[in-house]
Order: sequence, then structure tokens, then C-alpha cells
Amino acid sequence: MEQKDKLLEVKNLVVHYETDEQVVEAVNNISFHLGKGEVLGLVGETGAGKTTIALSLMGLLPKPQGHVIQGSIILEGEELTNKTNKEMQKIRGNKVSMIFQDPMTALNPVKPVGEQIAEVIRLHQHVSKKDALTKAMDMLKLVGIIPERYKDYPHQFSGGMKQRIIIAIALACEPELLIADEPTTALDVTIQAQILELMKNLQRENGTSMIMITHDFGVVADICDRCAVVYAGEIVEQGSIEQIFDNPKHPYTVALFGSIPSLDKDVDRLHVIPGLVCDPSDLPQYCSFYDRCSEKCEGCHSCDPKAVEIEPGHFVKCLKYTQGGK
Amino acid sequence: MFKYIIKRILMLIPIMLGVMVIIFALKVVTPGDPVDQILGESATEEQREAKREELGLNDPIIVQFVDYVTGVVRLDFGESYRTGEPVLQELLPRLEISIVICFGAVAIGSVIGVILGIVSALKKYTWVDSLVLTISMFFTSIPAFCVALVLIYIFSVNLGLLPATGIDTPAGFVLPMVVVGLSSLSNYTRITRSSMLEVISQDYIRTARAKGQKEGVIVRRHALRNAIIPVAAAIGNQMGHQLGGALIIETVFGIPGIGKYISDAIIARNYPSVLGGVLLLAFLFTLINLIVDISFLIIDPRLKKTLIAGNVKKAPRKLAVQGGK
Repeated sequence: MEQKDKLLEVKNLVVHYETDEQVVEAVNNISFHLGKGEVLGLVGETGAGKTTIALSLMGLLPKPQGHVIQGSIILEGEELTNKTNKEMQKIRGNKVSMIFQDPMTALNPVKPVGEQIAEVIRLHQHVSKKDALTKAMDMLKLVGIIPERYKDYPHQFSGGMKQRIIIAIALACEPELLIADEPTTALDVTIQAQILELMKNLQRENGTSMIMITHDFGVVADICDRCAVVYAGEIVEQGSIEQIFDNPKHPYTVALFGSIPSLDKDVDRLHVIPGLVCDPSDLPQYCSFYDRCSEKCEGCHSCDPKAVEIEPGHFVKCLKYTQGGK
Repeated sequence: MFKYIIKRILMLIPIMLGVMVIIFALKVVTPGDPVDQILGESATEEQREAKREELGLNDPIIVQFVDYVTGVVRLDFGESYRTGEPVLQELLPRLEISIVICFGAVAIGSVIGVILGIVSALKKYTWVDSLVLTISMFFTSIPAFCVALVLIYIFSVNLGLLPATGIDTPAGFVLPMVVVGLSSLSNYTRITRSSMLEVISQDYIRTARAKGQKEGVIVRRHALRNAIIPVAAAIGNQMGHQLGGALIIETVFGIPGIGKYISDAIIARNYPSVLGGVLLLAFLFTLINLIVDISFLIIDPRLKKTLIAGNVKKAPRKLAVQGGK
């Protein structure tokens, strides 16, 4: 990918949560990049560190436990990791915005929704209160809600509509980058489809780059251009949708696909990956997937492999390919 | 909303009747004869009997009760045994003083308490947090009259800024207000702190941060309004408590307030005064609670649905006999 098309570049990012008792290694040496208008899917189990990646991009890691230990996050040539909170406030909601997982709790219950959308507009654009509210009504219309409902409070909307409002807030300032953290997980299936469709359309229309965090490969296939599989705070495999879906390489990715029910094949039981994600406060020195891996060999226990590019844009972090490829 | 308020006001009537029943019961069971207190030891039996007849004390208790209630409806609370003045006339000026002190105290206590609570919540687990909690606990732990005496010593005796006793000038109100306010400080601080801590970890606060909103504005505009509801409830309770319960402070500062009036009346078995005083306090207490409840509706729009719509009788649910709608 050419340098000038790059919107976001994350290099060797390490994030730890430090408490008195322990250090939780939530994100370990993650690198990825995102082009303009591109949609990247971050897939992984609960606790894999997907949300932590998103929060560190936003500069919203929980204080005082969350720390970016090393690495860089470069948005449009600007380094974000050493920005102060005040500088980040100008970026959040303006250049980068985020959609959260649970729409039921993400809106302030005592404020009318129109005011909540207008708030972000007023923060980043020099407009009067009235103009901001008009713009907020336009946003409501854009996400498919009658603009006249701007006076209503969040409890008067259903979950799917609340998520629409949150999308309206996130897109109100036409951000370069939209981070969607499991935007459909808390919604039922029909609403999920509607919300995804809405996001897809808005993303295409505005040319917004997007990071889609999910544990649903269906969502990834639907909306993403590229996909990164996250396991125990590491990206174990990364590539284009075609590369990942047609030609998964890492044993974890393969196992994940194995656990998706198939329409064509008739199986009694779905395949499961044995064991649990390793405790992020006690990560092994060797490959973190070793204990659950079905293809492990002797060498796996002694070293932590580096990611290798097995075909253009397709990275795998597994000893099999480190040896075989080189 | 309007219907709800009317309903709540009508509910005052049974509450007031209940209060009157209880106080009347106390009048019957407590030993001692008011006539002794009025006429003194030297009075003859005939004089006592005549006085009892005059005060209506020989009537059956039910008749006394009904007489009293009909009087109250006409705003006639009877005459004080001691002075012969109408009770209401004696009560109102004292009540006014008590209300002024109570409101001032609540204003001082809640404003300082809420600010301290917010500070300690934002600085949780730091030395600031510990210091704030220690200070507010300190004022609640030591008896109010101790604080009163220390403040009198500092501001009246040494600095000569404020009068030590009496309320002849507005300045006289300052010390009593401060003392009563400080005594309830930790209440507000702790409630605000815990409520604030809960609110600040909510998702919508994260949403506000994700919008790029400044921390100070997030606290003021997003968090505070959500966190203030339990504090408003505490204010209501505290007001009711302090209106009649400021007896010691009224004594220390020599203020003719309603607390002192009622306690004097109890000792003198001056039933009309006790009854009238307690009744007025009960009325005010329920009124304050009503105002607090209405303030909830203004603070939290969600309650409008549960509080008001919750009272509406639901139409009987139809069984799904006909096919889908």
C-alpha cells in the first residue's frame, strides 16, 4: 500500500493494565494499518483485547490502570500516543469516533437525544446552538429516525433506534475514522442486519474508514475489506477478506471457521476449540495459542514466532510458516 | 403530571388524620394532669374540676378528637393552656424562624457536601478523597453544640464578627445555620460520592468522552444530573429532620424556634401547643417530600413514565383469542 493512502498506522502497540496485584497484558505488539475508505475487521474471542485496541486509538484507556507501554499510533501523519488529553479531545468525535457495544446504556438517560447529537457538533464545529440542533435533526433523518423526535429521551426509543442515534452521534462530524466496537452484538438478528446495512451505506457514501470490532465472521464478510484475527492481545493472522476466508492459515483461524455452522454440510456437533484463552495476566513466553493448538509441534513450546507475510498482505503468526516460508 | 400532584396532595389528608390519632393517643396514655401545671399545687378540687370542664378534658376522648379535627379544618388549633393565646398565632413566627434556619442549613450543608462529594469521587482513593471524607465525618461525629460553642468562641468572643445568641439581626442566623449545616455535611458528601462514582463509570460518560467533551463539562452536564437524585432524597429527609430537631441548637443560641416551643409544651403538658406544633411539622414534612418527589420528575425523565403512568390503571389484558394483530 502506498504511503499517502494510509489513514492510520499502528506499529508494535503494547497496552498493559496495571493494578496493585497484577499486570494484565491486554495488547501485545500489534501492528496494522488502514487505508482511506477501507474497512478493517478485528475478530476475536471475548477478552482478546479488541476493545482495548479501540480505546487506545481513542485515547480513552481507563485511567489510571491503562497504559500504552510502547508502539505508535499514527493518524494522518500525527502521532497519537504522546498527545495530551486536551489535544485528544479535539480529535475524538471529530476525526475519530466510536460506536459502543451496548446501545441501552451508551446514551445519557436525562438528556433529549437531539441535544446529545448537537453536543458533538457544537464541540467541533463553530455553529450556533440552533444550527447544531438543525444538523442533529438532519443526522436523525439520515439514520432513519423521524427528526421531530429530537426532543425525546433515550428511554423512549428501542435498542435498535438507540444504536441508530449513537451512529448519528459518531458520524455527526464526518470523522475520518469510525471505530465500531461490536455495534450489533446487543441487538437481535433482524435489527443487526438493518444496522449493518445502515453502517455500510453511510460508510460508502462518506468514504469513512472503519474498524469493525466483532466476534462474528458473518459481519466481517458482510462489511469488511480486510480482516485481522486477534488472539490473546496479538494479531495472529491478517489479510484481505478473500485471503482469510478462502485460505485461512493460522490454526486458530482455521479452528474458528470450523466452529461456524454450515448450511451445506450436515454435522451433528459443531467443532469446538478446546481450552480457554490464556490468562492475560500470565501469558506464556512461547506461542500463546500453544495449549489449544491442534497442530503444535515441538518447536512451538520454545519460541514465540514472528508474523510472516506468506502472500502479499497476508500475515500469519505461526511457527509453521516461519520455518516453511523462509 | 398535574393529576399526579393533585393525587399526592389529597394523600396528605389521611396522613394528617393518622398523625392526629397518634398524638391524641399519646395524650391519653401519658400520665400527669395539665390542670396541675396550669393552676399549681394550691388549687382546690373544685377549681380543678371547673378548669377541666372549661378545657373540655372531661369529655369522652372521641368527642375531644372530633372537636379538635373540626377545629383544625377551620385552622383553629385551640388555645395554649399556658398563655391563652391561639396556638397558631404562637406557632407561626417560631415556625418561620425554624424554616429560615433549616433552609439555610440545608443550603449550606448540601452545597458544600455535594461539592466535597464530587471532589472526593473524582479523586477517589487519593489523599484528597481521605481528607474530604475525614473532614465531613468530623463535623457529623462531634455533637453539634460542641461545634456551636467553638464557633461562638471564635467568631463572637474573639473576632466579634457575629452575635453569640439571639436573632435580632440577620447576622444572628449565620452561626446556627452553619452549625446545623455542618452537622449534616457527611451525609451529603458520602451520598454524592457514591452516587457520583457509580455514574462516572457508566457507558454514557464514556460516550461523552468519545465525543471529545471536556472532563469538567462531563461532570457538570452529564454526570451531576444523574448523580443528584439520591442527594435530593437526602435533602428532603434532612429538612424534615432539622425543622423540629434543632432543639439543642435553638437552646444554645437562644433562638425561639419550633423545636424548643414543642419541647417546652411537652414538659408543661400543654396539649394544644404540642398537637399544633407536631401537626404543623408533619404537614411540612410531607409537603417537602412531595416537592422532592416532584423534583425527581424534573431531574429524571424516565420517572415520569414509571411514577405517573405506573399509577394509571391498566386496561385488563385481553387474552389472545383472535388471530394475530
